[in-house]
Amino acid sequence: MDSLHGILHGLAVAAQPSHLLYTLIGTFIGTMISHLPGIGPSAGIALLIPVTFGMDPSTALMMLAGIYYGCMYGGAVTAILLNTPGDAAAVMTVLDGYPLARAGKAASTLAIAAISSFIAGTMGVTALAFVAVPLASIALHFGPAEYFGLIFFALSTVSALTGDSLAKGLLSTFLGLALATVGIDLQSGVQRFTFGILELQDRVNFLVVVVGLFAIAEVSRMVEGTKAGTLHIVRVKGRLWFGREEWRQAYPAILRGSAVGFFCGAAPGLGGTVAAMLSYILEKKVSKHPERFGKGAIEGVAAPEAATNADTCGAFVHLLALGVPGSGATAVIMGAFIMYGIQPGPMLFQTHPDLVWGLIASMYLGNAMLLVLNLPLVGVLARILYVPPGILLCIILGIASAGVYSFNYNTFDLFLALGFGVLGHAFRKLDIPKAPLLFGLILGHTLEQSFRQALTISSGDVTVFFTHPIAGGLLLCAAISIGASAWAKRRPRAALKSAESRIEGI
Amino acid sequence: MRALKADAILAVTIIIMATVYLAVDASLPSARLGDPLGPKAFPALIGGGLILSAVLLLAETWNKRRALADTASAGRTAADKNLTLVLAAMVIWTGLYYFAFESLGYPIATPLFLLGLLSYFNRGRHGVNLAVALGFTVVVYLLFSTFLGVPMPTGPLPI
Repeated sequence: MDSLHGILHGLAVAAQPSHLLYTLIGTFIGTMISHLPGIGPSAGIALLIPVTFGMDPSTALMMLAGIYYGCMYGGAVTAILLNTPGDAAAVMTVLDGYPLARAGKAASTLAIAAISSFIAGTMGVTALAFVAVPLASIALHFGPAEYFGLIFFALSTVSALTGDSLAKGLLSTFLGLALATVGIDLQSGVQRFTFGILELQDRVNFLVVVVGLFAIAEVSRMVEGTKAGTLHIVRVKGRLWFGREEWRQAYPAILRGSAVGFFCGAAPGLGGTVAAMLSYILEKKVSKHPERFGKGAIEGVAAPEAATNADTCGAFVHLLALGVPGSGATAVIMGAFIMYGIQPGPMLFQTHPDLVWGLIASMYLGNAMLLVLNLPLVGVLARILYVPPGILLCIILGIASAGVYSFNYNTFDLFLALGFGVLGHAFRKLDIPKAPLLFGLILGHTLEQSFRQALTISSGDVTVFFTHPIAGGLLLCAAISIGASAWAKRRPRAALKSAESRIEGI
Repeated sequence: MRALKADAILAVTIIIMATVYLAVDASLPSARLGDPLGPKAFPALIGGGLILSAVLLLAETWNKRRALADTASAGRTAADKNLTLVLAAMVIWTGLYYFAFESLGYPIATPLFLLGLLSYFNRGRHGVNLAVALGFTVVVYLLFSTFLGVPMPTGPLPI
């Protein structure tokens, strides 16, 4: 099935009433989650996976994907009104969004953010549909050595590009890989690192780790915000639309941001934060008035918002075509795929065409739904921001606990999640990125199996990884990404640092 | 400078943990069964990787320490210490909640847990706190047990 037929077929699947309903529910929940400072898309999706028990996989995945892009869409609202990004990717939107809101332009800034997200999302889904199929057909020829090279490359880029320290990125990845070795080894039947604990024999539950690291740990950030009293909300006044001059300034930024975002999403590990940062830097570079940036330039909102939403679609490219997640949230969605008994990857387009095309097409419909949700209803939805943070953090902890228990009905998972919550807090305090740990945990098993299968086929000859051209090329790319990261010392990160310090400072 | 000290402690902790991980790995049986590597080789590589990254972190810390040698270090403020205490108390309170999760049951343990937290984080609003604690418990219990078919523990209550 070629891409165009795939999209049309997918639209027929996604337009079924139950699919439409759950896509709407997903986008609505995603928008709500993005309004809760502290809960990002990864934790939001993980928390809501138990709700999908009993649904058919297509419906469930459309809802979970809706939560993901709904979160990215709505992240701008807290960035603009509260000076706090709803998710990490919205950090650059704060720079100009909050000053614009303080200057009385909250309504038009929110409208530009919504339109930017819609345009970028629609362009991103189209690019996803046309890129994923050729990529999947190439990946069909991959053997264990190529898969090892691909996963190694994904892990090395996520280690090198996430956070400010290469060592900490690597540390986080290796911790994730170490966690992935806990449990019964499928090839030999040997129990590894279970220390006699029955619950660990079936490996560490990925969703428990996500809820602990992202939801429970983020409660600590909310506690800090509550105690420091740093949350000052700007109220929305006036009509939610923008003038001709604002549109003239914003639309080239939206197009550039969409392109930057999609490419960042399609490169494993770069993620929405880097996409937003690069698009912001690009806008500042091409602008005739770069001095306006940071003080209330509408392009400084339009470009990063477009980039983060296009990045979401880019991140789905490798999840669907290669079976390798492109971001923390797609790693959680990959966990959901596996939980429903579906292995994402190149075969998906042949074995589950209804599911994969339905999922892609549901993103078109979901984007349209988000525009409707975010334009007229933003004032209503933003009321969630007025709920006292002290109440919100208790509710988040309550939802996280109920969700974790429902995975396996045992309290061991609850304590494990609490432990990962403490670890997540330590990671935040020590500036260790969490995404590489997630990648290591979810890809560790496949990495080990590919490694062992490749060596079994080659009778233990390690040159197999270098004599296969694709595997060798990917390993070379991995080495380059690590080397380049160590050499460049992340100079562009200064812009992100400045954004973060401003958020903390105000 | 405090952050650099923390990084150095982190690196040393990781080296110790990786050594324990490698020691446990070495004690695993070598069941190869046609697999040239067996179950021990891959964890050994990961243990080595952990040690290498910890050494890299020590090197990064050393370089930064030299660059920041002249900057004054900010000490821990009373607010920092207070926050740590609050977070530690939250972890203990959440741990107690998890201990009571099955024995007391979700409908009893959850409102008690939430009421405890809300009394601290939303002080003085007893009516609102009680309504939130009870309302949240009823909604989540009904959502999971009735609508999603995910049974939550009932404890001594005959539900």
